Amino acid sequence: MTAEQARTPASLRAAVTARQARRAVFAPARLLRRSLRVRTVAITLVLATVAIFAVGTVVSYTIAQGLFGNRLEQVLAESARATSAAQNVAVGYATDSTSLQNARFAALDSVQTAARPYGLYWARSDSSAGAAQIGDVELPENVKNLVSTQLRRALEKDGLQHWQSVSIPVAEGQVKPGIVVANTIQFGDGTVELYLVYDVADVQGTLTVVQRSLLIGGAALLLLIAMVTTAVVTLVVAPLRQAAAVSERLAAGHLEERIPEHGEDVVATLARSFNRMAESLQRQITQLANLSKVQQRFVSDVSHELRTPLTTIRLASDVLFNARERYDAPTARSAELLKTQVERFETLLADLLEISRMDARAAEVAGEPTNLVDLVREGVDALGGLAEETGTTIRVHTPGGHAFVDVDNRRIARIVRNLLANALEHGEGRPVDVTVDSSERAVAVGVRDHGIGMSQQDAERVFDRFWRADPSRQRRIGGTGLGLAISLEDAQLHGGALEVWTSGSDGTNFVLTLPRRSGSTELDRPVPLRPVDAVPERAVEPRHQETRVEVGS
Amino acid sequence: MSGRILVVDDDTALAEMIGIVLSSEGWEPVFCADGAEALGRFRATGPDLVLLDLMLPGLDGIEVCRAIRTESGVPIIMLTAKSDTSDVVDGLESGADDYIVKPFDPKELVARIRTRLRPSASVLGNRLRIGDLTVDAAGHEVLRAGAAIPLTPLEFDLLHTLASKPHQVFTREMLLEQVWGYHYKADTRLVNVHVQRLRAKVEVDPENPRIVTTVRGVGYRAGAAV
Repeated sequence: MTAEQARTPASLRAAVTARQARRAVFAPARLLRRSLRVRTVAITLVLATVAIFAVGTVVSYTIAQGLFGNRLEQVLAESARATSAAQNVAVGYATDSTSLQNARFAALDSVQTAARPYGLYWARSDSSAGAAQIGDVELPENVKNLVSTQLRRALEKDGLQHWQSVSIPVAEGQVKPGIVVANTIQFGDGTVELYLVYDVADVQGTLTVVQRSLLIGGAALLLLIAMVTTAVVTLVVAPLRQAAAVSERLAAGHLEERIPEHGEDVVATLARSFNRMAESLQRQITQLANLSKVQQRFVSDVSHELRTPLTTIRLASDVLFNARERYDAPTARSAELLKTQVERFETLLADLLEISRMDARAAEVAGEPTNLVDLVREGVDALGGLAEETGTTIRVHTPGGHAFVDVDNRRIARIVRNLLANALEHGEGRPVDVTVDSSERAVAVGVRDHGIGMSQQDAERVFDRFWRADPSRQRRIGGTGLGLAISLEDAQLHGGALEVWTSGSDGTNFVLTLPRRSGSTELDRPVPLRPVDAVPERAVEPRHQETRVEVGS
Repeated sequence: MSGRILVVDDDTALAEMIGIVLSSEGWEPVFCADGAEALGRFRATGPDLVLLDLMLPGLDGIEVCRAIRTESGVPIIMLTAKSDTSDVVDGLESGADDYIVKPFDPKELVARIRTRLRPSASVLGNRLRIGDLTVDAAGHEVLRAGAAIPLTPLEFDLLHTLASKPHQVFTREMLLEQVWGYHYKADTRLVNVHVQRLRAKVEVDPENPRIVTTVRGVGYRAGAAV
């Protein structure tokens, strides 16, 4: 394996991993966006967390303040008591060195008995020279370090009781909270500063217990809130979800779907009004469907009932027509007229029946493998008589479309016939170009005449029923006015399109495009709607606006 | 060409008019206006061909067609006011040989009748082989291992036409022309339905035909003789 090959799987793996990561990141976001329940619970939890945290902080702070305040009072009272006890002891001694030594020990004893501090520091005041002969005492060692200069200054200033919070080092890197209380004692002829250090770790302990309880309580509360919210939301969302599912099914055409109604609350009201709406919808749709069915049935029955007498008339007119030589001129002409008009009537009836079948969606496409080129050639041959009559040349171009496609050849042949007849009718005797081509997805037939074309308004109405471009123009072929409308329906039945391009002076181009495989919806354009030989747009006179009408899928 | 033709139609005006057309061609029309009486009338008159309306009082055309087919292979042409696929196919499947949609051209009617009444395809008396079947044109019989398979004249014509040129593929249009006598584009469903009816009678396994095989996109051909 070369290096080049080796890299590809690695980068592929990376891409896959990246995609997975992205999915992992976006999955919760998608869940949030799509699930009302998840979203509601999430929002509730976030808000509840903020609230509980705030309340917890305040409570914890207040409790800490209270606990510390109590302890401080106690400490201050104790130290005041101890100081006065020491003062009382110190008063009775003489001022010689030994006595002072003894007095100091007695005083310290009484302090420790009265106050039981964590530590104490007996220091000569800087300002008193008299007590110079007795040294400082610190218990345990280095307690002196806990006494800040700030505290000493405050004491020196007024000699009253002062205190300060400190951290007492207990072991390597560990401290516990403490309070240093400063007092002065008149000792001999001087002043001694007495600092008592109290350990308040027990307060911290209590506080920790309280804080832990608050934390556990808060977490439990959050869990409870989450559960309650989920339950409530589920309770509210379930009917909504059901309503959504039911409306989905209703929209899909299951008109008999209803939401079960329970109770009197707003959800039940929703269900009730939804059901009422569904009922009226169903009633109206059923009514319309019935009406339409009745209408279709009526048209079909009328056409059918007309056919039998029409057959009799047809046969009779034919018998008369065949015998016309035996009559005088007016009667013979009448027989001729009767025959042609009966035939016209018949075509009209057939077209009407066909279009009513299409309206009723009862038309069926019988697809079979068909060669479009052959089909078009047959159509051209069939209209040879009309082409000759109008002096028109029909040129057939077949760059593609030789392969078989599954179409209903009866319907496609009818479209081709209609388009050709139309082109001959309006082509002014100039050549008509018929193009058959195909692409990967579609097959198409273009029928292009070089006649006078149409206006934009006319082009938009060309597929309308019974519409005629120019009512005053004489028609050569007795069309029914339904030909193009039926052709359009035929094209749509195949999932195809029938489009028209026209230019005021440059004729008209009809293009039928059909999917190569039935059911495929993507069509391209094997035969362009704008003919290749069309006069370039700029050359067209402005008043003859080029028009393109697209109808179909 | 003379012959007796039974016209089963409840519309007396149309029946009479058809009678006029038939008489002018030298045929002898007999009439019946009720589906329920049609079979009795058929037995009583012994016609050479039946023109049968699809919509009839009493018994509908498809039922009548089926009843006649159980006892006779006489050509039946249906007259129908509907050209919907299902109705036409129902009619053909019930045993009709051909159909004609109202309103029709009298020439068309006459041509259809003439084709069905013409003497059968081959009088050469040769025996043709198709698959494991023997087609005896003279005896108008199809035999499998010596046993005759009952076919209507039309089905026999269809099989005989295919068997007469065993290597040729017949398009539906060719068959329409040679068997049904259509000289222009007509409904190819006629061919499809009759090929299926024929297969149901002559194929050992109609799902997997070996006597009349389909050439996709073109038509049908006779299977090789074995």
